[in-house]
Amino acid sequence: MKTGIALDIREIRKTFTLSHSGAASLKTALLWWKKANREKLEVLNGLTIQVKHGECVALVGRNGAGKSTLLSLISKIYKPTSGEIVVDGRIAPLLELGAGFHPDLTGLENILYNGMILGLSRKEVLERTPQIVAFAELETHIDTPVRTYSSGMQARLGFAIAAHVDADILIVDEVLAVGDYSFEKKCYDYIDEFRRKGGTILFVSHNPDSVRRVADRVIWLAKGQVKMDGSVETVLEAYLAAGEDR
Amino acid sequence: MLADLKELWRFRELLWAMVERELRIRYKNSALGFLWSLLNPLVTVAVMWSVFTFLLGNNTENYSAYILAAYLPFLFFNMALMDSAQSVLGSLNVVKKVYFPREILPLASVIGNFIHFVLALGVFFMFLFGVWAFTGFQVAPFTWRLVALPLLLIPFFALVVGCSLLISALNVFYEDVKYILSVFLYLLFFVSPVMYFSETVRSALAGRANGALIETLYHLNPVATFITAFRKVLVPPGRIEIIQDGVAVKVPPAPFDYTMVGVACVLSFVLMVYGYWVFNRMKWRFVERP
Repeated sequence: MKTGIALDIREIRKTFTLSHSGAASLKTALLWWKKANREKLEVLNGLTIQVKHGECVALVGRNGAGKSTLLSLISKIYKPTSGEIVVDGRIAPLLELGAGFHPDLTGLENILYNGMILGLSRKEVLERTPQIVAFAELETHIDTPVRTYSSGMQARLGFAIAAHVDADILIVDEVLAVGDYSFEKKCYDYIDEFRRKGGTILFVSHNPDSVRRVADRVIWLAKGQVKMDGSVETVLEAYLAAGEDR
Repeated sequence: MLADLKELWRFRELLWAMVERELRIRYKNSALGFLWSLLNPLVTVAVMWSVFTFLLGNNTENYSAYILAAYLPFLFFNMALMDSAQSVLGSLNVVKKVYFPREILPLASVIGNFIHFVLALGVFFMFLFGVWAFTGFQVAPFTWRLVALPLLLIPFFALVVGCSLLISALNVFYEDVKYILSVFLYLLFFVSPVMYFSETVRSALAGRANGALIETLYHLNPVATFITAFRKVLVPPGRIEIIQDGVAVKVPPAPFDYTMVGVACVLSFVLMVYGYWVFNRMKWRFVERP
């Protein structure tokens, strides 16, 4: 079990360039005189957060507050405009379950490639495949192409793979409400178990119940900055109260 | 760039897995599997050979083998570029959700196609054996020249890697790129010696003013130069029929042009480094494409 700072987010800024033309084309690139008035959108401005090992932090905030952008930055999908993120340990990003499944490949083949995309070695994936299949409860379908799966089955398989990456830090973006009731319970059991082992979780949720259920610290993001940071009840109440005002 | 290479090396196992995935997906839904990929070049060559031999009356020796030796590398170039153009854009949903070195996507397309190409070369040798047997075992097709084959495959591979890194990165931002690419590849077929010979070009240009200059320009196209080089390495020299002053004559093939092949090799490696540099500059913006 690790101790100390798991995630050190220092003065992170992220600016996106807005485009109004829709589809990308050479035409827009060649119209250089129009570039001057391109709009910039500052999603995160100077965000500083520290998360200790073993903490479970929920991010709340309105749409466009920068929650998902922050998770993507931590997962190394974006490069920050300025600032620095120091990560101690292995990250499992659960930003979208089953992203990268190929519909024509079987469940088994997708486990291999998805697991490797998530950072496991081939040997590690092969060792864990039986557990993953059992966790996803897909024993009977594992040799059929993923395109024949229902969306719930795909999400289950996606969660099962991500759950077996052996990460120190889970980055979760509203993906826990997948599958049926019993699978949801399994997911929560997994998260409890993960936390017991000292894992760190950073997750985004719009559901106050799941925040109360899992988190022990809540960070309220507004306009790309930390508006409030503290215990679950204080921050969540303030956030919900602010929502009711509108 | 060195840091990027190091990171790529760290993910090498994923690269091989992606190559494997690429190959698996391609044959997943077809019972004939690998045979399909051979059917295309073999049928194309059969048609070209019939047209040139029967309809146009050309009597070049080993003509079908000559075409196949040129068409296989051309097809590799063509397919690898078309596949890699879509490689990043087609996987954008993964790129947006999971981190891994993005160059793995076009590289997997290129390596997957390269493996095809090498397997197809194996079939080419069987074909060559067939031609040899058919012509009564006259000119032995398997000679020491084949030792030079890997020396030719490496720079050609570098050329394809360079082009595909450039194209895959550009295609993310400008979707016109793949349309331009398909027209470009179509036209490239005609300005590269696949259906005809570089010897034909030389004899056609021989009497002209600036003929030598035009021939050099023609061979500055690395695909043209490599294709001619592949021919010289793969096929035993048979006499080539060309039209000289309105009369068909058979001439022996021109010697291997070391200078032009050297230029093409340098060009290829420069293009590979440049392509990787451009790709690395653009790869962080893939997820932010407008």
